[in-house]
Amino acid sequence: MTNLYRSRRRRNVIVLSLSIGATLIGLGWLAAILGTLVWEGVSGLSLKVFTQMTPPPGSDGGLLNPIVGSLMLTALAILVGTPIGILAGTYMAEYGRYAKLTMVVRFINDILLSAPSIVVGLFVYEVMVAPMGHFSGYAGAVALALLVIPVVVRTTEDMLVLVPKELREAASALGMPRSRVIQRVSYQAARAGMITGVLLAVARISGETAPLLFTALNNQFFSTNLNAPIASLPVIIFQFALSPYHDWQRLAWIGALIITMAVLALSIVARALASARTATG
Amino acid sequence: MTVANIQSPPAPVPTPIVTGSAAHAGAREEKISVRNLNFYYSNNKALKNVNVALYTRMVTAFIGPSGCGKSTLLRVLNRIYDLYPNQRAEGEVLLDDTNVLSPGQDLNYLRARVGMVFQKPTPFPMSIYENIAFGIRLYERLPKSEIDTRVESALRRGALWDEVKDKLSANGLSLSGGQQQRLCIARTVAVRPEVILLDEPCSALDPISTAKIEELIDELKNDYTIAIVTHNMQQAARVSDYTAFMYLGELVEFDATSKIFTSPVDPRTQDYITGRFG
Repeated sequence: MTNLYRSRRRRNVIVLSLSIGATLIGLGWLAAILGTLVWEGVSGLSLKVFTQMTPPPGSDGGLLNPIVGSLMLTALAILVGTPIGILAGTYMAEYGRYAKLTMVVRFINDILLSAPSIVVGLFVYEVMVAPMGHFSGYAGAVALALLVIPVVVRTTEDMLVLVPKELREAASALGMPRSRVIQRVSYQAARAGMITGVLLAVARISGETAPLLFTALNNQFFSTNLNAPIASLPVIIFQFALSPYHDWQRLAWIGALIITMAVLALSIVARALASARTATG
Repeated sequence: MTVANIQSPPAPVPTPIVTGSAAHAGAREEKISVRNLNFYYSNNKALKNVNVALYTRMVTAFIGPSGCGKSTLLRVLNRIYDLYPNQRAEGEVLLDDTNVLSPGQDLNYLRARVGMVFQKPTPFPMSIYENIAFGIRLYERLPKSEIDTRVESALRRGALWDEVKDKLSANGLSLSGGQQQRLCIARTVAVRPEVILLDEPCSALDPISTAKIEELIDELKNDYTIAIVTHNMQQAARVSDYTAFMYLGELVEFDATSKIFTSPVDPRTQDYITGRFG
């Protein structure tokens, strides 16, 4: 074995160890975060958390109003943002694929994708909350929708572009009008990816706090009125975690655990869907 | 021993040599007539002044080396090139006396009359039944029992019925390559076109599937006008009635298959067929 070979082997071992070390460090932090969340939060999980309102400091209570509020805001944001995102993505991938406009839109979309969410929140404050005169769940949902749209546009366009052009040509060659080709062939073929995109958008907005601070604000009491301030899990966590009350702090941990588990479950479902499709397709 | 000089194109654009039985215009009815067709990919001229005809209920094969424009020509006949910008055609393509290149032509209707099967088998991501029924439902509103009959007859014509009759709800993608291509042919036949264009349908298939499809073409030509592009000269000799040899975007020679393969007139045809270049 020559010296050159030996030194190369040595270098290989060193770099390999460094890579494994880096992986362990990264995974270690993730494990630490999840571990802390579970440790602090699981002890407080009970049916009470899901059925009782947020309490004043010192009393017993749950997280019902922020959970319901978050669900409503997320649902409305997805309802508003997904169709816009899918239609825009469809235009970019199907009709305007070679157009200059598409390149510009894609660029702007990528900027929006990484826009700081607090900026989005401030924007919606100026545009909706100030003219309306009060905070509202609707404004919160709009802010979240503005965060959903770029994600859905990106994934829809990426997935549709992946559909092989031969498939579209085969459908067109039967005399199928363009809209039918897109609905029955392109969408079907890209379905798993598009659903994954929506699930990713849901995961993203579940944890967004900053935009809600300026739009939906918060609500101590149980409310389903979207035309008024409404509680949401991220904002409650923010409020409770910064407070000096122990029971509030415990509720904050429980809330954080709930959000994390929900997002984790969604990601697993998205992955399972994606791999199930590729298995049969 | 002279090697075919394939580097220098002939100086004048020669008129295609149409001899023998193909020259008797009255003897055979022309289903599709291509007149002075020029085709451009952006600024690149891919087809130069092509004149050819597809005769009714005959199989016409297009042969030639890679890049000679045979697939391009086929794609003009059902205007599938329209899906892409920067591709344009000039000239006339008459389908039963209507010029399909005219701007007012209804493309979906044209493509219902002129079907196409591509090189890569492309079953839709749906069940085998739906793959066939899909095309039928585009044009006709039929009760389910009628659609069932049409699906069965299309699959029989595609020589696929016996293999899939018990699993019509299985996904089209679960079939083998040869079966998928036969599914695509059955799907094309189901909408009852008048012309079927086959763009190298067997190049991705094994010899047994290829043989099945060639048998199929032989049966189909009793009812449909067929054009087939193929890289495989022996296949052209086996299945076609007329053969057109194309080279560098021009139609060099067009004649009855027996004549082309035994005594071609143009030296370039002779060189290609004997394997001097390819």
